[in-house]
Amino acid sequence: MSKVKSLAEAAALVKDGDHLALSGFAISRNAVAFSHELIRQGRRDLTISQAIVGLDADILVGAGCVQRLIYGGGSLDRFGLVEQINRAYEQQRIMTESYSSLAVCFRYLAGALGVPFMPIKSLLGSEVLSRLWESGSVHEMDDPFTGERVLLLKALQPDYMVLQAQMADEEGNARVLGPLWDSKEAARAASAVIVVAEELVSTDIIREQPELTLVPGFRVAAVVPLKYGAHPTALYRCYDYDADHLKEYVARSREDFEGYLRDYVLGKSHEEYLERVGGAERLGQLTADPMLGY
Amino acid sequence: MNFSTSELMVVAGARELRDGEVAVVGLGIPLVAAALAQRTHAPNLKTLNELGVADPRPIELGVGNADARLWYGAAFFGSFVDVMGTFLHRGVVDVGFLGALEVDPFGNSNTTEIRNPDGSVRRFNGSGGANDMASNAKRTIIIARHEARKLVPVVSHLTSPGFLTGDRAREEAGLRGGGPSRILTDKAVLGFDPERRRMRVVSIHPGVTPEDLQASTGFELGIPADCPSTPAPTPEEIALIRELDPRRLYISGV
Repeated sequence: MSKVKSLAEAAALVKDGDHLALSGFAISRNAVAFSHELIRQGRRDLTISQAIVGLDADILVGAGCVQRLIYGGGSLDRFGLVEQINRAYEQQRIMTESYSSLAVCFRYLAGALGVPFMPIKSLLGSEVLSRLWESGSVHEMDDPFTGERVLLLKALQPDYMVLQAQMADEEGNARVLGPLWDSKEAARAASAVIVVAEELVSTDIIREQPELTLVPGFRVAAVVPLKYGAHPTALYRCYDYDADHLKEYVARSREDFEGYLRDYVLGKSHEEYLERVGGAERLGQLTADPMLGY
Repeated sequence: MNFSTSELMVVAGARELRDGEVAVVGLGIPLVAAALAQRTHAPNLKTLNELGVADPRPIELGVGNADARLWYGAAFFGSFVDVMGTFLHRGVVDVGFLGALEVDPFGNSNTTEIRNPDGSVRRFNGSGGANDMASNAKRTIIIARHEARKLVPVVSHLTSPGFLTGDRAREEAGLRGGGPSRILTDKAVLGFDPERRRMRVVSIHPGVTPEDLQASTGFELGIPADCPSTPAPTPEEIALIRELDPRRLYISGV
């Protein structure tokens, strides 16, 4: 059964107040086009979780779509900080649960396995931990077998994980190339996955190398075939990050974020966005070298 | 031989890494220090990138961990849980190389936020994998800028544990990793007293006076009268660094 949907149809699966795990890590494999569509549809009160936030979470927070952020930190690497998230935190406009990245991954892992919690040896003695007591998601105890102190992290099960992938078939079997950061555990923890795929391929191609499938189709609610869905962040083996546009995002994020949204997101289709960032000529310059992957 | 302070820091960092070790390294000086060590005394040093990369052989430098330039030639791709869970948390990582906004006398570090004098807060990157490394690596090396507002009596946010309040506090908190072994700054190499676990000076960089060093530190360092000078880089080391970072992306000339 085909699970192919348009970007708008897939984003409409997400309801106000839902919990979404996002795909990005700093400037790589971010679900940017999906975030843009959620902003256009005016989604509100989302919970977002991510081991390392990137532009996909930052722009959603800046557009006022997010009520709670569960994350391990993040930046836009050398291009700058996540200004929208950091300002929202400083002005207490959103609720945040700030962990280490491994702690977020362990919460997903517990969720993925269906166990209630996961012990971890990180965070002990730190202010990261002391600020999490009120969240109700952490508990310190002694290991009943050895007596050693451990921290327990409550399982995390998002409503959806939005997975930006290089490739998928109509059934939603999705292939991710390159390092996976939290995508594997987040996808398995979620109630369902929404795949945004650079390329829609026949299921025969997926089934030739099933070891590359990150998530099988029966865990996928929708697959959206979409070119440059991660732009301006990179998609390994497909295209590099767009340094010029990331610089523009960071600069306007500080002074003219509303103007940025008007110019690139609000009232614009994904195709119009791609034209505005430079169209085929600019995007062609970002094409990854097949040997290098970037 | 002319060399910059950051080149000296790279060399000091490289000398802290031993052949056959496994190290999690981030961008900047740690990355170049690990590459230099691999090209000199530690050809079997293996590096890990937290987001799911082991033993890469990059031919270009990148803008951050998420830049595929740093993944090139890797022996292994996996997830964050693979690298930071099954390697680091498992206990097989020798060195975690960290950067910090602030460090206190017990090597506790802050990468999360700075409290302004008016009480407002300026938010930065948060932990990422830093707390995981500081908690679980056999030892950590921390890079910091040597200013009185960076080396402070109490950090604004204790993101990553050093020796907490000193003595046995780290072990008593249940932390397994060995804690910080070195703090590398632009003025000195710092270490820790083995009992009290308080910061002390290992060597002062050439051209820095003890008075300048103390004035640039927000707490009493107790600099010994016979404090050694940080060994200068060799011409071979400088040549290698400039080959590794030809465009001076990380290693400035200053």
